[in-house]
Amino acid sequence: MFRTTEMVINMGPQHPSTHGVLRLLLRLDGETVVDSKPVIGYLHRGIEKLSESKTYVQITPLTDRLDYVASFSENLGYIGAVEKLLGIEVPPRANYIRVILAELQRIASHLVWLATHALDIGAMSVFLYCFREREEILDLFESFCGARLTYNAVRIGGLYQDLPEGWVEECRKFCELFPSRMKEYEDLLTINRIWLQRTIGIGVISAEDAINMGLSGPMLRGSGVKWDIRKAYPYATYRDFDFDVPIGKNGDTYDRYLIRLEEMRQSRRIILQALDHLPDGEIRAKVPRRIKPPKGEAYHSVEGPRGEMGFYLISDGSEKPYRVRFRSPNFVNLQSLPRLVEGHLVADIVAIIGTLDVVLGCVDR
Amino acid sequence: MHIEKRKKLSFLKRIFLIELFKGLMVTLKNQFRPHTTVEYPKERLVLKERFRGVPRLRMHPETAEELCVACGNCAEACPDNCITVVAETRASGKGKQPKIFIIDYERCCLCGLCVDPCPTKPISAIYMSHDYELASYTREKFITEKDRLYSGHEKREYKK
Ligand code: SF4
Ligand code: SF4
Repeated sequence: MFRTTEMVINMGPQHPSTHGVLRLLLRLDGETVVDSKPVIGYLHRGIEKLSESKTYVQITPLTDRLDYVASFSENLGYIGAVEKLLGIEVPPRANYIRVILAELQRIASHLVWLATHALDIGAMSVFLYCFREREEILDLFESFCGARLTYNAVRIGGLYQDLPEGWVEECRKFCELFPSRMKEYEDLLTINRIWLQRTIGIGVISAEDAINMGLSGPMLRGSGVKWDIRKAYPYATYRDFDFDVPIGKNGDTYDRYLIRLEEMRQSRRIILQALDHLPDGEIRAKVPRRIKPPKGEAYHSVEGPRGEMGFYLISDGSEKPYRVRFRSPNFVNLQSLPRLVEGHLVADIVAIIGTLDVVLGCVDR
Repeated sequence: MHIEKRKKLSFLKRIFLIELFKGLMVTLKNQFRPHTTVEYPKERLVLKERFRGVPRLRMHPETAEELCVACGNCAEACPDNCITVVAETRASGKGKQPKIFIIDYERCCLCGLCVDPCPTKPISAIYMSHDYELASYTREKFITEKDRLYSGHEKREYKK
């Protein structure tokens, strides 16, 4: 008399908790997920193809719009690949400033993650507090380069402008204030029993699976794999700084939460070190006005807030790249979603999408 | 570095709902902090000096002559092809000046790449202005001609 039938339900593409335009095709048995299939491509903008019709400099504003929560890291990765093609040495001051800004960007991006993740699970006030602190970072970016979201501040061979007057003090002020604010988030969430029940044991992925799927960033480190591009292939001047790479043990949503929090603390540590040792000098190397890299190819990857963001360029010796390819951490991390949600309840999908920290702009390049 | 172990709450802490009160304290504390909401458009934030609004042209601040020499570098640098420059010989003095200068704000992505290659040093003729309220009922309004590039957008004030 009583029997259950499996149902196919669409979640998204316009669901508020799918962080953009992700559509999930769910097969449900009651409230339990039997199978799921992420459907992507609702945002496809063809940036890779478009880049082939633009000069190397003109591509930078496009990379801003890939992962729009972490534009600076994308800029940095792309410009790094071009610099590799050209064989340009970046002046140390520019490199230090790049590191400071990249780490500020990581904090800003993680704050958006924490805000939306908490909101998805049901904690409203964390959302408001995180955005308040992110605003302060965006103010720093605005006074550095004039934009709040799509910075376009990195130029081939260095940076467009030097830091404005008083910037270092402002940044230091933020760094001093930040730990007390972090404590507030932790007070609200870390031992909150609702938070614990919604995150512990949810979306578990083993280290082996994570490596096999090519996951990166906190998704990989949550499972206990110590892999960070900043340590493995140090770019810019990460070699000069002393910082730890936090790793988890259980590979669940709660571990990834703790990792991202710790990463924010480590980022702050790097920023303070860089501010203390900020060298003087040029901020831009000598670069020809017309950028024409020699024939060849280059791959450069940076540790973005979501994982390894790679840029692959092939040059045929002309002003425009012959082929452009982006390795997006969001795209790769997303493929673990069916594995993560299997057997969980529908409400947990929301938490798991949050822990993936996807930005669909970077998935549908 | 392993992240610290999961905290086990002691029995006493659990029954007295310590974590709940800790959270409530945070929200309570924040009631007494200054408000962060800005009631736009009646209230506005102060823009930073380098703020990038739409690009505009400027005259020489002292001689009030046209700075732009119609070289077309900005049009070439623009990734969205939104600048059109047509040159003519200068009425007074040597060199060229723009006969037509159009920026299509509809396509501009506010990247600021047009400012880099402008050769009029030390003040570049094209600059990123502080104009950001550009909404309009017609699309033609976004195609901005030379006069309006110099004078800028008219501003509206709202009373509180
Ligand atoms: S800001 Fe960018 S898109 Fe706009 S006109 Fe200048 S170069 Fe073109
Ligand atoms: S604004 Fe500057 S770059 Fe553009 S045409 Fe005039 S002088 Fe050349």
